Amino acid sequence: MEKSQTKIITDKEYNIPKGGFKRLIKFYLFPFWRDEKFSVQEYELGKIKSKRKLFNRLYTPLTIFGALLLIFIAICAVYASWLTPYSIYDLNARPGTDPFAPPSAEHPLGTTILGWDIYGRLIYGCRTAFTAGLQAITISVIGGIIIGVISAYFGGKVDSIIMRIFDILIAFPTLVLVLIFVKIYGSELSNILAVYGVLGIPNYARLVRSSVLQAKENLYVNAAKTSGADNFRIMFSHILPNAISPLIASVFSAIGFTILGISALAFLGFSDKTIIDWGTDINVGRTRLYTKPWISLWPGLFVAITVLGFMLVGDGIRDALDPKSKK
Amino acid sequence: MIKYIIKRVLLMIPMLFTLLILTWIFSRLMAIDPAANMFDPLTTDQATVDAMRRKLGLDQPWFIQLGIYIRNFFLGDLGQSYLGRSQGYQVTEYLGLIIPRTIELMIVPTILAPIIAIKLGVISAAKKDKTTDTLIRGIAVAGSALPSFLIAMLLMYFGSVILPSFTAGVIFIPTIGNKDPTFDDPIPVTNFRIIDCILSNRPDLLLDTMIHLILPWLTLTIVSLAGTTRVTRSSMLDVLQQDYIRTARAKGCLESTVFNKHALRNAMIPTSTVVVAGFRNALIGSVIVERIFNYIGLGFTTWESILYSDYWMILGIILYFGIIVLASNLISDVLYTIIDPRIMYK
Repeated sequence: MEKSQTKIITDKEYNIPKGGFKRLIKFYLFPFWRDEKFSVQEYELGKIKSKRKLFNRLYTPLTIFGALLLIFIAICAVYASWLTPYSIYDLNARPGTDPFAPPSAEHPLGTTILGWDIYGRLIYGCRTAFTAGLQAITISVIGGIIIGVISAYFGGKVDSIIMRIFDILIAFPTLVLVLIFVKIYGSELSNILAVYGVLGIPNYARLVRSSVLQAKENLYVNAAKTSGADNFRIMFSHILPNAISPLIASVFSAIGFTILGISALAFLGFSDKTIIDWGTDINVGRTRLYTKPWISLWPGLFVAITVLGFMLVGDGIRDALDPKSKK
Repeated sequence: MIKYIIKRVLLMIPMLFTLLILTWIFSRLMAIDPAANMFDPLTTDQATVDAMRRKLGLDQPWFIQLGIYIRNFFLGDLGQSYLGRSQGYQVTEYLGLIIPRTIELMIVPTILAPIIAIKLGVISAAKKDKTTDTLIRGIAVAGSALPSFLIAMLLMYFGSVILPSFTAGVIFIPTIGNKDPTFDDPIPVTNFRIIDCILSNRPDLLLDTMIHLILPWLTLTIVSLAGTTRVTRSSMLDVLQQDYIRTARAKGCLESTVFNKHALRNAMIPTSTVVVAGFRNALIGSVIVERIFNYIGLGFTTWESILYSDYWMILGIILYFGIIVLASNLISDVLYTIIDPRIMYK
């Protein structure tokens, strides 16, 4: 008792670096916080374990940056009515007073050609971008899955006919086809999204087909066949869940490209004028590019942020799902 | 090998018919009446429209219309444009005027971008997870995330506002059109404006044309840089994990030899897909870039004909795209067997 009291315990002995006190407090107060110096072995074990989990493999700087960008856009979309004093009516229908006004206290980023506040339109445009991208991709994913699974599962003539037609369709520039159909059937947002969705089907059908062709060879498919499962059950409840991961990886970047495509369409003048869209603003600002460049710069920046977010997250998911990069 | 090529060429014939039928279905879906569109509805009576409709065979049942369409295609008659800049031209004739301009626009980025992109991709793969790598990856992702029209607009602003204001108006890059309006045209020999300028000995026109092409070239290079860089990087990373790379290092090869000879040649196979697709895009053109720079090429004509519902022009352009795609698929399949002898098609 006496001896142990006289011995001075240094930080070095317990392997506690400077600032050890703070760490101690953290260790006791935060429920799941673990200090590497306190339990080195446990920490090492945890590191090996965590590499196997998908969520931990997503934890890379670029992916987090992309996710933060997306969260920023999502916050703008959800809390749009709090972030700007203007209503949708003010921004999209009410005739404004001063067109192409420079930035002021009332209009922090200036106004568009019809006197609408650019800042407000930016914030509300987040809603359009999110909903538009998601809807178009839903159509193409569902269509692509159905056609791709059927084509790969049955094979033979069905497969070769579908794939030959898709080979030609896929190679046409999407923008031109979208332009043609939007010009003919009207440029309402629903039309644009339907056309984008349908034209995206060949990509996904091909992707699903190639992974279904691999999954089809597995023994459990034979087992399911022997036990009397019908084609529909085998296709969609045995094969599909095992063939879907490349699709998930590509969905995010595809949403980004769809948003890019919709803004390009608006830029070419084929947009839905009744909704708030960044592409329309860019197109409007183009006429004043040399004198008032900010009019088109801000919407362009927002398009870039959204697409960048989706692409970075998509890249991260693809790397995390890729079995080759497992270490 | 020769047997395979012959087989592929023969396979083109059913593909061509599929393409013709597909484009014909497109033309049905387009729901434009070319006969009614040709005339001004206020000044023309119904009889004239009906006569034109009969002349074009639009009053026939659908299978005869399809037959007429396929026959006209093989006769080289794609109809006559009736609206817009191309009014009065035969579609084939106008495409012949326009396509060389697009090739002039696209050929420089198509060659320049892969050279830079492969270099960047190799550097990025060599310095994996270092600062350089993150920087190059960031630039590549940002390059494909930025809308091409925004890149073009930034370059336009740079060329026509920032540059003149810093050089007191001495250096000025024109941003609109493909020539100065005060200049005349060279004698059209090949329809390639640059070549025509050289042939007709007009250095002033040549300089003017080149200056107008600088910004579109830059835009297209930046746009197509990003994709190739990413593909090169990922395929380089795959190849660098192979056994023969370790062997090459173990036997004492220089690091540069390992990268440039052992790794890069094998990593080029996925990259070559992108590069070949780039050459195909060079013939297709870019609607957005040509539109924003008002460069009268194929992309601009596509946009314009769609805007005016110029039926025969749209159909002709789609057909042209389809034929380019079919041909480029054939050429790229044959090229792959040359690049990678391991690939043998059955």
